Parts: sequence; structure tokens; C-alpha cells
Amino acid sequence: MIAKPSTEYSNLSSSKSEQTAYTHQNRKRLWSFIVVCALLIGVVLYSAMTGSLKVGIWQLIQGLWTGNDNQVNVVRDLRLPRIIVAMMAGAALAVAGVLLQAVMKNPLADSGVIGISSGAALVSLIAVTLFPTLYFWMPLFSFFGGALACLMVYGFSWKSGLHPIRLILIGVAVNAIFSGLGQSFNYRGSYAVTSINQVTTSTLAMKKWVDVEIILIYGGIGLILAMLVYSWCNFLALQEKTAKNLGLHVTRTRLLISVIAVILAATATAIAGVIVFIGLLIPHIARQLVGSDHKWLIPFSAVAGALLLLLADTLGRTVLAPNEIPASIIMAVIGGPFLIFLITRSDRIYGR
Amino acid sequence: MDVNDITFSYDRRIDRLHQVNAQIQPGKITTIIGPNGCGKSTLLHVMSNNAVPRLGQVILDGKTIAQYKPKELARKLAVVHQQNEAPTDLTIEKLVSFGRLPHRTLFSSLQAEDEQAIEWALDCTNLHEKRFSTLDQLSGGEQQRVWIAMALAQRTPILFLDEPTTYLDMYYQLEIMELIDRLNKEHQLTIVMVLHDINQAIRYSHHLIAMKAGAIIASGVPDDMITHDLIRDIYGVEVLVRHDAEAGLHLIPIGVGL
Repeated sequence: MIAKPSTEYSNLSSSKSEQTAYTHQNRKRLWSFIVVCALLIGVVLYSAMTGSLKVGIWQLIQGLWTGNDNQVNVVRDLRLPRIIVAMMAGAALAVAGVLLQAVMKNPLADSGVIGISSGAALVSLIAVTLFPTLYFWMPLFSFFGGALACLMVYGFSWKSGLHPIRLILIGVAVNAIFSGLGQSFNYRGSYAVTSINQVTTSTLAMKKWVDVEIILIYGGIGLILAMLVYSWCNFLALQEKTAKNLGLHVTRTRLLISVIAVILAATATAIAGVIVFIGLLIPHIARQLVGSDHKWLIPFSAVAGALLLLLADTLGRTVLAPNEIPASIIMAVIGGPFLIFLITRSDRIYGR
Repeated sequence: MDVNDITFSYDRRIDRLHQVNAQIQPGKITTIIGPNGCGKSTLLHVMSNNAVPRLGQVILDGKTIAQYKPKELARKLAVVHQQNEAPTDLTIEKLVSFGRLPHRTLFSSLQAEDEQAIEWALDCTNLHEKRFSTLDQLSGGEQQRVWIAMALAQRTPILFLDEPTTYLDMYYQLEIMELIDRLNKEHQLTIVMVLHDINQAIRYSHHLIAMKAGAIIASGVPDDMITHDLIRDIYGVEVLVRHDAEAGLHLIPIGVGL
């Protein structure tokens, strides 16, 4: 036998320090989770109490309990739906981003960037113009639009395997097509346009309990499905042939995860409009905080996405009150610099 | 395992493999050798159902491998590919546990049997002390052992390795070869691998398959098969074939044949 180059002692000590690093990583995950959950609760309360109508926390709880307080009833009818919609849309978009990135093996894959959201928006725009009574089925129409965009991205970029750069380029082109079509739809000048404008311009104002119902049902199903397939997402991070030799149906798995991602992105788009960036930003932050194991990544992204979109929406309606800045704009303004900051910082740590 | 009349092409125009026939003997180490582009990795891909042949079939335990369900095949045959990728922050233990996929359903948690297989795989590859490390903390040789451990955790009777020593320095190359040898001797694994280093192939294999331009041109026991003419024929290299008591059969390359 050949002697080992490293001594037993150095092996032992290095494994000990690595184990501490491992528990450190676990603790970091847990704390990240706790902090984000606490922040989310804080922002929910702040958001519910603040605005053109201000209520105290006790007044809010009592009013919600009894239903007698008129001020609180207004908050319940107007502000609460908006808060819930913002949270669900944020969670759905962030998780859709995580799933798409797992499937496409590309950190740039975001439903807003590769055209899924704009495809969903266009088809639901057409659907709502033609059949305004089918409002409850909007996410379904969105789903078809999103699925169409997703199929186009795959279909055109697949060339005996996934090529990350090719895929993003095709995705950007698909996005341009659908958002262009969506905008031209707006310019054809008719009464219908003004009533459905919210679908394309992403404002979370004027959300009702019926919207909450829709996004909770479709979005909830999507989020649960996403959690169920976390281990598949982990296997997809391996090389395709390695995953295949482990017995994974790689194509079927990719397809299923894509469908879940499209459900999530389409639901969020149908109710909250096109919001880019959240599916890019949140998974990136989440990977730094909780690592790339999807068992943690998916739930953490859901909570963090909910927090971010709610925060953006709350800021948007309070900063320049009584005027409102759409959440998607706030997202872009905060998100851009933050993403740059994160990327430059992580280069310093992992840079080679 | 029998390979029958395999013809394979990537683009349906140029055949990369021409009517390849081979038999893999159970419990032995079989090594495929040949120059770059001769189709040795392609053959390994066809044999592991990663590439579907145009003609012919690969038969494992009386069934063509195309008839196996993916998980069923993954319980019989594990593959270590030449290049591997995984998120660098996953722990070694977690990565090795991926090898249990063919024995689990989507929702089941790790059973005692899974834990045992993982422990065994970590034992064989001497990675116990590294189980909580992450991939980026390991050296190239250790990383290669992680991929082997992941395949071992599948607990298959057959293990394929595609150029397991490429990119490694001499120490790690020998370490991997000795690990493979141990797996064969102590655990009776059937091993099929592709190697570039002919001396390693001769030393560690029971059976060699020599390929050139998509066809098998010689196969057999190393001592009988390796000749000066054969090496010149497949690689175009002039070698001295030496046989001595200490080193056994070995080749000394002396130049490119003209």
C-alpha cells in the first residue's frame, strides 16, 4: 500500500472544523428562516395599519374579530385582499424562479425574463376581452399562455441538450414577442382596454376577496406541488446523464417541474400582473443564505418572495401617498442595485 | 452482459460504432482501450442506456436494457461519468445519498437499508471523515471518490467508469485504480471501464477490449493480447513490450510510428 500524504492528525482536525462549518451552515439556515418570517409578520401588520386610513393594532384585531368597526371593515375589504395577493404573488413568482432555474440549469431563468409571464398576460388579456364573465378561470387562460411561452423556449433552444446561453437568448426573444403583442393590444383603442389594463401594468390596487380566493387556490396548489418535488430539483442539479443513470426520468421530471413553475407564474401574472425580477433576485439571495438544497430553498424563497413583494407594494402606496407607485417599479428600483451588490460581493468570496 | 451487433450513430449519417459484439464477464474487470474518437466512451454510453443504438441490442440478465425501467436498470448498473457537476455547497453525505434514488420513492425518507448503503459507500471510498465537507473543499482525487461513492450507494452488481483517472495526478490515479481493484476483489463487482493509460489497463484488468474507428479489433486477456503490432495498429505508436517478474507485462512507448 502507498502511504497517505497527509497525516492522520491533520485529517482528524480538518474533519472536525468541517463539521463545525456544517452545523454553522445549519444554524445560518434556521436563523435566516426565522428572521425572514419575523420580518414578514412585521410588514403584514405595518401594511395593514398604514395608509390613507390608519388603524391601531388593537383596533384592527378587535374589529376583525367583531366585524363592527367600520374603519376596520374598510381595511378588511380593501387592504387585506391586497396584502394577501401581494404575498401569494411574491411567493409564487419566487418559487417559479427557483423551479425554472433548476430545470433550465441557469440562474437567469425567471418567468419574467424568458417570456412566461408575458405569454400568460397576453393570453389572459385576450381571454378577458373575449369572455369577460370567465374571470375566475383567468389563471387557466394564463396557464395556457405561460405554457405556450415555455414550450417555445424549450422547443427552439433544445438541440440535443440544454444550452444555457441559447436558452436565455431564445427566452428574451419570446418575451419580446409576447410583451410586444400585449402592448399593441393596448393601443387598438377600445373601452375594454381600460378595464383590463391592470393585467398588463401590474398594480396591486383594487384587489378583492375574489382575487384572494383565486390566487390562494391556484397558487396554493402550485406551492404545495413545488414542495413535493424538491428532491427532483436536487437531482436535476447533477449532470443529465448522471441523473439518468441514477434512475431518474429526466425529461418527464423536467416537464413536470416546468408545469408547476408555469402554474405558479401564470397565477401570479393573472392576478397581480407582470412583475419581473422577483424570480431572479429571491432565489439568488436564498441560495446565499440557505444553500442550494431545494428542501430549504423552495420554502425559504416562498417566504422571502412574499416579504419582498409585500414590502415593495407597501412602500409603493405609502411613500408618495396618496399617489401610488406600482410594486413592479419599486421592485425594479430596489432589486437592480441589490442584485448587483450581491453578485459583486459573492465574487469576492468565491472568486477564483 | 452481452453486446450484440451494436451500430450507433449520433446523426444517422456517420456510424460511430460498427456491429460491435462483446461479452462482459461477471465478477471481472473489463477495460476498453483505444485512441481518441475510437468510440470507446460511446460504447460505454450505449451499454449504460445513455445512448440508443441504431441497430443491435445490449442484453443484461436476459432482457435488453431498453426494456428496463430507469430505476430498475439503476439497481443493476451504476455509472461514474468522466465529468460531473453538482452544487458545490452540498455535503458529501448528501451527494452520496443521491445514489439511493433507485431504491426509494419520491416521498419516502431514508430507511435503515439506505443508511447502511451510504455508510458502506463512504467506507469503501475512505470518505468517512469528509462526510460533512462540501465538494469545493475536496481535492480532485477526493471528488472522484465521491462520484464513485455515489454510484456504489446504488448497490449494483455492475459498475461502469468512464476514464476515472483522467485529470488526476499519479498518486490519485493509483489510488482510484486500487479502489476499483478492491471493489472487484472484495465485493465481486463487475467492472467495465474506459482507460487511456494502457499500462494501468494491463495491470488492473482481467479482460481488455481494444477498439479502433468504431470497431473492436482485439479482445482477450492482457498477457495474451498485447503485442507490439497491436499497439502500433491501434495507436500508431512504437512500443517496447517488456515482461519481467516485478512489473509484469508493461509497455514503454518509444515514439510515433511512421
